[in-house]
Amino acid sequence: MLIVQQAQKRSFIIPSIISSGLSYLSKDIRLADKMEDGELHFPKTEFEKSQNKSKPLFQRPEPNYPGHVPLYNFEKLLMFLGSSIGAFVNPTNNNFIVSLGESTAFPWVLNRLRTQMLNDPNGRQILKERPHMTSKSLNLDELKNYPDNSLGKSYFLWLEREGVSPDTRVPVKYITDPELAFVFQRYRECHDFYHTITGLPIVREGEIALKLFEFMNLGIPMTGLGALFAPIPIKSSQRRRLLSVYYPWAIKNGTICKPLINVYWEKIMKKDIDVLRSELGIEKPPDMRELRKKAKLKKKQVG
Amino acid sequence: MFQVIRRFATSVSNVADIVIIGGGPAGLTLGTALKNSPITKHLKIHLVEGGQIIEPLTSFLETPPPNYLNRVVSLTPSTIGFLDSIGAWSHFNQERTQSYDDIVTYDGVSGARMNFEHPNIATMVETTNIQAGLLSRLNELNSQQEVKLVIQEDTKVISIAKDSITQWPTLQLSNGDSLTCRLLLGCDGYNSPVRHFAGIESRGWSYNRWGVVATLKFADTEFRFPTGWQRFLPTGPLALLPLPNGYTSIVWSTTPELAEMLLSLDETEFLSMVNAGTRLSTEELSMIYDLAKSKSPDLLEQIQWRLNLFADKLKPADEEDFPLQVAEIVTGSRARFPLKLSHADTYVEDRVALVGDAAHTTHPLAGQGLNMGQEDVKSLVEALERATSRGLDIGNSLALEPYFSERWPKNHVLLGVVDKIHKIYSTDFAPFVAARSFGVDVLNSLGPIKDFMVGTISGNSKR
Repeated sequence: MLIVQQAQKRSFIIPSIISSGLSYLSKDIRLADKMEDGELHFPKTEFEKSQNKSKPLFQRPEPNYPGHVPLYNFEKLLMFLGSSIGAFVNPTNNNFIVSLGESTAFPWVLNRLRTQMLNDPNGRQILKERPHMTSKSLNLDELKNYPDNSLGKSYFLWLEREGVSPDTRVPVKYITDPELAFVFQRYRECHDFYHTITGLPIVREGEIALKLFEFMNLGIPMTGLGALFAPIPIKSSQRRRLLSVYYPWAIKNGTICKPLINVYWEKIMKKDIDVLRSELGIEKPPDMRELRKKAKLKKKQVG
Repeated sequence: MFQVIRRFATSVSNVADIVIIGGGPAGLTLGTALKNSPITKHLKIHLVEGGQIIEPLTSFLETPPPNYLNRVVSLTPSTIGFLDSIGAWSHFNQERTQSYDDIVTYDGVSGARMNFEHPNIATMVETTNIQAGLLSRLNELNSQQEVKLVIQEDTKVISIAKDSITQWPTLQLSNGDSLTCRLLLGCDGYNSPVRHFAGIESRGWSYNRWGVVATLKFADTEFRFPTGWQRFLPTGPLALLPLPNGYTSIVWSTTPELAEMLLSLDETEFLSMVNAGTRLSTEELSMIYDLAKSKSPDLLEQIQWRLNLFADKLKPADEEDFPLQVAEIVTGSRARFPLKLSHADTYVEDRVALVGDAAHTTHPLAGQGLNMGQEDVKSLVEALERATSRGLDIGNSLALEPYFSERWPKNHVLLGVVDKIHKIYSTDFAPFVAARSFGVDVLNSLGPIKDFMVGTISGNSKR
């Protein structure tokens, strides 16, 4: 015969609530806790109390270089989400592109670029001297007197044609390591030289083509994202031209040309630009402004 | 009854109970321990050593050399306890030894680190100091006892053969004598002739790495407690072990090309290279190696530039995470030796036993090679004591077998673990680095497990 004994029903929840509440409310229990911690008979001095003041939970770390704004990881994520949407919708606003660039410049990407620079004598010199490009450091006034086909003269002419200046570059703020921040800053400042050497204009189409070229050569994620998504909202004729002419050019030249991050632009201003192109392995793509003008004329004739 | 008289006896040969071949730390410890033990001290023992040891070792203790020698080993408390129990430790030149309480190992790729802290976790002693101390104790024992241990130095062993009648090992020595013994102990290093004589196979592989050693001195910038440092680079670990007075002995296990490069640098470049090796990232180190291999004139400048950048980035609280920079080198102390793993199939054969490097060799990253040899000696002496007190023939396998069965598995495990550590740290493939760094971080916070690891390796000792 099987006798089943019913287990005694014991209440659990209410007693535990009561006992945990009592450790706050009951004086005896509080005193006993204090005695166990040794604070009853040997109370803490003022000095000890000040030492134990723990640091606040969220305290921003120290900046590593002037202008550094240290971000927490969730802030970086938010910046990425916001800037990627913003850059897609409104690419003319520079802030979105800048933030997208910095939030996707992961340490391993910049590390790879820095290692590329370390393994090249020119790159090492750039890392050591940390040159910053301003209109003064580039001697813009003298550049107009440089020989005709030189890099300096071409750069000057390009600046005039497009109506831009090298002083408008936004400094890097959100990258943690100072040397990696410099590498990214260098990339930003050399962007105009990439325009000069490829001859691409600063219209939207030109920037997209240059982005793909930069991605194939430098591997920076923002350029890759730009090359992937930016052609979506543009005019179909421009997109066709991009995909048929400029994208193949960018893929081919970006891959086979020498790493552009290692070029010390400031020191080769007098060099002939065609010689430089052949040394680096870049062929000039069809002039975009000319192609656009021709297409517009054709459309006018037809329409 | 008949008395059989052997009329045509073989040429007169010396007969001994035990012949120890090899006057290194293993052989000398064995001889001293056997002479020290009241049970085995009556045995007739010969120690045969191919080089000259008596004069150099005696003069080491009488007039110690001004600089620390570049062959230094880390002794565990268990080893020192054993050396003390045979009465040899007090004969060492104590001022030239450095005991330390901390060992820090850190990953060259990820920086993950492990701190081992234990009072007297190990002691650095020059190998010559060990040999000299043992010789001094041996002389002391010889002076107190009737049966003396005979050291035949500067005597090479031409051949070893089994005597045709007794099957006892018989050695032909370079001085023309022949020596027969009941038990032949091979303490003669990796290429042990005794092991070849016994027909024992030794298995293993070359690590294709060389250990570059040098004696350096830290820069006198701040006080640090003596600490053993080891940084695991993908090419091999760089270890800085403390010596007295701010000196340090380094062992940089690295590839053959890099070892050659390190030895070809001049002294200032070598010091910079060591400082770079303890601090800079693997990419910076590759750049520096390439500059050094191509004999670039601005090697020093480039290393100094990267070291300065590193120093600027380092927070003051993290400065103690790295060893001090090295500033001086003892001229002529740079040397290199090849690293290999080997383990003999068995330690004992009929009338033969192997001890020390003749039985096993290992990677220096754990500093256990000589300590394993010392534990071997301890175990072998115990086995011989037991056999002698029971009246057994000490050359018989029955007498020697307990030594083999006690030491072989333990040595095998340690050799295996050290080999795996070497393999785990030989790569900079990101997933492996992440996995091992995670493991190290977790292990570093588990105090009891670290204590267990330290306890197993250094053995239980009263020190």
